[in-house]
Amino acid sequence: MAVKTQDSTQKDFYNPNVLINLGPSHPAMHGTLRVMCRVNGETIEDANCEIGYLHRAIEKLGEDKTYHQWMVYTDRLNYCSALNNNIAYAMAVENIMSISVTERCMYIRVMCMELSRIIDHIICVAINALDLGAMTVFWLLYQWREEAYTMIESMCGMRLTTTYARIGGMSYDLPDTLNERLWKFCEEFPRALDEVEGLLTSNRIWIDRTRGVGIISKEDALKFSITGPCLRASGVDHDLRRDRPYYIYPDLDFDVVVGSNGDVYDRYLVRLEEMRQSVRILKQVNQKMPSGPLWTTDKRVLIPEKLEVYSKMEVLIHHFKIFMEGIDVPKGEAFTCVEGPNGELGFYVVSRGGPKAWRMRVKSPSFMLFQAFEASVKGGKIPDAVAHLGSVNIIAGELDR
Amino acid sequence: MTTSIAPKASYLKDQEALGKRLVEKYGPGRKVEFDKLNEPVIWAKTPEDAKLLFRTFMLDDAFKMDFLSDITAYDNKDGEDGEKRFVLVYQQYSTTKHVRVRIKCLLDESEPALTLTDIFLAANWLEREVFDMYGVTFTGHPNLRRILMDERFTGHPLRKEYPIKQREPFNDNIGFHLGANPMEINTNITEGSEN
Repeated sequence: MAVKTQDSTQKDFYNPNVLINLGPSHPAMHGTLRVMCRVNGETIEDANCEIGYLHRAIEKLGEDKTYHQWMVYTDRLNYCSALNNNIAYAMAVENIMSISVTERCMYIRVMCMELSRIIDHIICVAINALDLGAMTVFWLLYQWREEAYTMIESMCGMRLTTTYARIGGMSYDLPDTLNERLWKFCEEFPRALDEVEGLLTSNRIWIDRTRGVGIISKEDALKFSITGPCLRASGVDHDLRRDRPYYIYPDLDFDVVVGSNGDVYDRYLVRLEEMRQSVRILKQVNQKMPSGPLWTTDKRVLIPEKLEVYSKMEVLIHHFKIFMEGIDVPKGEAFTCVEGPNGELGFYVVSRGGPKAWRMRVKSPSFMLFQAFEASVKGGKIPDAVAHLGSVNIIAGELDR
Repeated sequence: MTTSIAPKASYLKDQEALGKRLVEKYGPGRKVEFDKLNEPVIWAKTPEDAKLLFRTFMLDDAFKMDFLSDITAYDNKDGEDGEKRFVLVYQQYSTTKHVRVRIKCLLDESEPALTLTDIFLAANWLEREVFDMYGVTFTGHPNLRRILMDERFTGHPLRKEYPIKQREPFNDNIGFHLGANPMEINTNITEGSEN
């Protein structure tokens, strides 16, 4: 039978220009990411990332919803560490209103942020190992992720999309059982990390698959504005918790973990050590946790007690005004950044007065990471691209907003 | 002032010094403001001036602003910040002194801004996002296309006049392409060509 082709490059087996489309729905793609590449043999020669498949107009909604209502949307940014987003957003609004939260609230927030950092790093390391075939690590670590989620559930009643923070405080105080539970977690979780380290760190297969793969050099990392563990793995000593400290971080004792090569292996090591440092912070916070009020006394944001709402007219009106009209944020702007699990998570809020923001910009770390991924994946092999993508931990919700 | 910043943070001294330096050295002819976190905001006169300021701050001896944190914009439809339609915002950061500076620039609807892609590779996607959301164009950008919205999308969603409920569904994906280096792809393969 005569072969009829219109384009000879399409069917030639030894074609140096084969086009491969990964995603947007693919088991090795973390979320709805799409990478289109031109491969020569197994080497990716050209790649292009198409993003926006999870775009939900969160920034536009930030201008349409009141400050209070928008809190739930922050959960859906980086859904692996929702607590971190909640708190960073509450912090941004409080900064514009010049409110400082109580000491107990600061401790709870730091605790939550570190807990969610552990969860996020667990997901990254476990899924990265799973992508490369090491399933045991996944089972070992996910048990602890479950435990962390159960602790979060006991704090606010939700597991994944927490909406725990409120502007001026937290929605609930800590449960009585948490202290003990957290101690147990801090004692036993590092043992699981030791086990994982025993399985991976000196494992020949793991080293062969990860060392020298997906290298982002120090210069490139800075040019691509990468932040967080990936920047530190490239050898830049930068951590907002230490360099631009917020809340009680100056009182806490922790080390900033810095790598040197900027490859997948270094990013894995940095994340593993950061989990240990987070456990260290959790221990200190748990020990020092002060008693006292949870909520600020500022009347503009203070959500009244439910019992009083039902029994006092003035309090009912106050409650109604906060939830139906929203809080009145004065004119002004601020760019508030926290060290999120993936890097610098910033909320740039421009207020022109009133209950809604004029501009709600989310500066997400994943955006920069994926841009660097697009550039550094060229020249590597397809399996290396999967390893690289797993190690930078791109969360589509945060990438596309 | 009460904020989330720890009172003993060591960068606060540098931030104050930076504010003073900006007012003295770059202030004449430009408006310098301080935001709620006491971080300096400097208004560039033109887009060219914004890029010049960006470069100058990178090379400033006292504060090497060697890191691009963010590029974004916001709609100035109510005219509160000036006559022109949009405000372009550069967030610059110093990895040595840990201070931030924000460069702002007013832009008309059809007025192009200058690209920063020749200085920072990260500016590429950030500028594409600003173009996508506001329709601000950047002269010199290598690949100015929509990034979050579909290529077939019309309008710029973050402009204030864009209705929040307006949707434009597409029932298929964007075809395969290689970004800045588009490639002719023939998808019309004749059946039976496998033999």
